[in-house]
Amino acid sequence: MVDLCADDTPELRAWRREVRDFLQEALPEPWTFWYDYDENPESWERYLAFWRKVGKKRWTALTWPAEYYGLGRPAIEKWILEEEFVNHDVPTYPVIGMHVSGYLLRHGTHEQRLKHLKGIADATVLWGEGYSEPGAGSDLAGLTTKAHRDGDEWVINGQKTLGTAAHFCQWMSVLARTDPDAPRHAGISCFLVPLDAPGVEMLPLDNMADGRQNMTYFDDVRVPADSLLGDENQAWTQIWFGMGGDRLDNAGPSLGPHSMRIVPLLNRVIRYCTRTSRGGRRLADDPVVRQQLGELMMGVEAIRLQACEMHGIAQSGRPSRFGEASMHMHQAVFKEFWPHLAQVCMEIVGPMAQIQGGRWAQLNGDIEHYFRASFGNHAGGTSQLKRMVLATRGLDLPR
Amino acid sequence: MGIDLQLSEEQELIGTTANEFFEKQCPPKLVREYESGSPEFPEALWREMAGLGWLGMPFPERYGGLELAMLDMVPLYVELGRHLVPCPVLDTVALAGSLVYALGSDEQKKTLLPGIARGDSTIASAIMEPDGGYGPEAIQVRATRNGSGFLLNGTKVLVACAHSAGRLVCAARTATGVDEHGISLFLVDPRAPGATIERTPNIAGYPLYAIGFENVSVAEDAVLGEVDAAWPALYGTSMKAAVLQSAMVVGAGERLLAMTTDYAREREQFGKPIGKYQAVQYLCTDIAIHCHQTRLLTLQAAWRIDSGRPFLRESALAKASASRAAGAMTFAAHEVHAGVAFVTDYDLQLYTRRAKHWEYNLGDLRYHLDRACAESGL
Ligand SMILES: Cc1cc2nc3c(=O)[nH]c(=O)nc-3n(C[C@H](O)[C@H](O)[C@H](O)COP(=O)(O)OP(=O)(O)OC[C@H]3O[C@@H](n4cnc5c(N)ncnc54)[C@H](O)[C@@H]3O)c2cc1C
Repeated sequence: MVDLCADDTPELRAWRREVRDFLQEALPEPWTFWYDYDENPESWERYLAFWRKVGKKRWTALTWPAEYYGLGRPAIEKWILEEEFVNHDVPTYPVIGMHVSGYLLRHGTHEQRLKHLKGIADATVLWGEGYSEPGAGSDLAGLTTKAHRDGDEWVINGQKTLGTAAHFCQWMSVLARTDPDAPRHAGISCFLVPLDAPGVEMLPLDNMADGRQNMTYFDDVRVPADSLLGDENQAWTQIWFGMGGDRLDNAGPSLGPHSMRIVPLLNRVIRYCTRTSRGGRRLADDPVVRQQLGELMMGVEAIRLQACEMHGIAQSGRPSRFGEASMHMHQAVFKEFWPHLAQVCMEIVGPMAQIQGGRWAQLNGDIEHYFRASFGNHAGGTSQLKRMVLATRGLDLPR
Repeated sequence: MGIDLQLSEEQELIGTTANEFFEKQCPPKLVREYESGSPEFPEALWREMAGLGWLGMPFPERYGGLELAMLDMVPLYVELGRHLVPCPVLDTVALAGSLVYALGSDEQKKTLLPGIARGDSTIASAIMEPDGGYGPEAIQVRATRNGSGFLLNGTKVLVACAHSAGRLVCAARTATGVDEHGISLFLVDPRAPGATIERTPNIAGYPLYAIGFENVSVAEDAVLGEVDAAWPALYGTSMKAAVLQSAMVVGAGERLLAMTTDYAREREQFGKPIGKYQAVQYLCTDIAIHCHQTRLLTLQAAWRIDSGRPFLRESALAKASASRAAGAMTFAAHEVHAGVAFVTDYDLQLYTRRAKHWEYNLGDLRYHLDRACAESGL
């Protein structure tokens, strides 16, 4: 059992140093990049080149079995790696859709794994997530994209929305209804779809934080029979419903450290407060600012510990306090805290926080950008829905 | 403690044992009996706790204790909170006794600690003054040299169970000023000539006193530790006790959550259990979230103390969270119960009123948020 402080052995400390050294070499200057909030082509080029370096080391597949291009290392090493990535202000996986690796490792066939996991491990093939539809957001089981079998092929028709970075992706995992007569949750399947297939079209949904989601249309898109991931009609339990906890196990990327981006952000604001004066007084000495910083520290620390707990539980398999809903509690808290953190940071920095760049921008304009980005907290489901799951599954309240 | 922040089986066992014990020995009826009552606390229960070793937990064997770690004590304090145990365990053991243990001479420890561990005597800490501050600047009771001893003058407030205490651990200024230097701790007999003791009715129905000192004479051997230099130990010990106070809030929170979700499942309005309404569900998740976050912060602080790591920032964050949770959890519980919980026969209000005392005790939200900044180098 690894200690609450993850660096409790010389080996783990050495591992952290190795990751840190790599990051310092790969990203010599401080650089912030988040795939949801950036459309600058040069930044993307640099970002993808960075991930190819990570892929070359197979750190993308750190915990996967060697049979499928992985390094078979313990999960705690992945935790440490992700902490370091977050501390360097880069995401812990190239794009959100890389979660498909977890589903492939758990539900894919041997052939599917061989075919798809290498590109994910190398970070040369990017995956989008095709779940939400214009009429099916929180109520994902209301999705209407359909797939029917035609000989050796599946034919997909429908429309997916808010696909993050899908325009940079070559593949997409797509949820579609395969049994229109089954109860809502029981007729959904998951497909692995190449985005260059005839009939796929994409339109941009530029977002308010300088990034882009996409509307993806499927018009008689034909994919071979072996594009079905997992069992027919079982995607709700195997793929979607797994999302809460699946992201934490060995296979998929974990959400915990991703949410911990708030740690370096708050540290930057704290440093700013020690260096900036207003009305002849350092912000760090202003009692109101101190209360605000203290409150943010408390929130950040609690979320960090929840992430540790989730990670630890996934490894130890010990029952958690709120069962499967522990993850939903963590997500609800984070989703609510994020815009709050951004708001309070804007209050602390003050009116100058509005300036986006140039010599008058405070903290490089990053807080302003972070504020806009914080309204993307609904990716992966809203806090209200997470609380609902916590209430009904974790606290046993009636549905 | 592992990265999953779970207690070991032995530590869990301390909690389950205490829970079963208090379930039988400390029903709400007993809690009510000792509200503003006399004697100050149920002596039989106190002695039984002593018999179980719970009153000597932090002290080494040679002073009659078990020398347990913070993470062993946290589960007990969670249960003290869950059952609103009307005894000064925190005040006598985690604060006053621990101050004696931290600063006292071998002689002082031998005189006081075994008696506490055996359940024969209690001591109380007299730290806070009427200005209501928690920091060193708030300590203004004066201790002036008088021959080889000292004369105490000034007032202490919110001193728990002082009437039955054999000694008070009293913080006073041996040098004028407002900073950390110049604070000393004294062992004072609350019945000494010149000491007045006045019970102050309070929200928690807890025996809290204001104590006046008018030229109260204390001997030189009543000083705990070095003259002028008590603050660091007083601060450190208070921060550790604050972690255990946070554990008590967690226990109370768990009971509030259970009471509230039980009620939400049973109570029907508009033909449905109210727990079906999302407004009610969200209030219940509020309790769960505040409670759980406080639990994790408390466990982290305890673990840092046990593993010899710096702990002041993390303890401040734990108590800040507990102080906020104390208010937020009782608020949400009242929202869900509505009218019935306003009736004194219903047990919820017992929690509401004590939670308020615990919110303040050993530092409130504001104080600990500021400490979190200070301990982060701000
Ligand atoms: C930045 C970003 C990236 C995204 N990336 C992807 C992606 O890559 N792939 C993908 O498939 N999707 C993606 N999404 C979509 C995301 O999953 C949905 O936005 C999310 O599930 C919420 O759905 P909705 O936006 O349609 O809101 P709605 O479901 O319409 O919700 C609107 C409001 O109603 C509330 N509400 C709905 N139902 C209930 C209920 N039963 N009880 C109480 N309140 C309720 C919600 O909480 C919310 O407050 C992304 C979203 C964002 C913001």
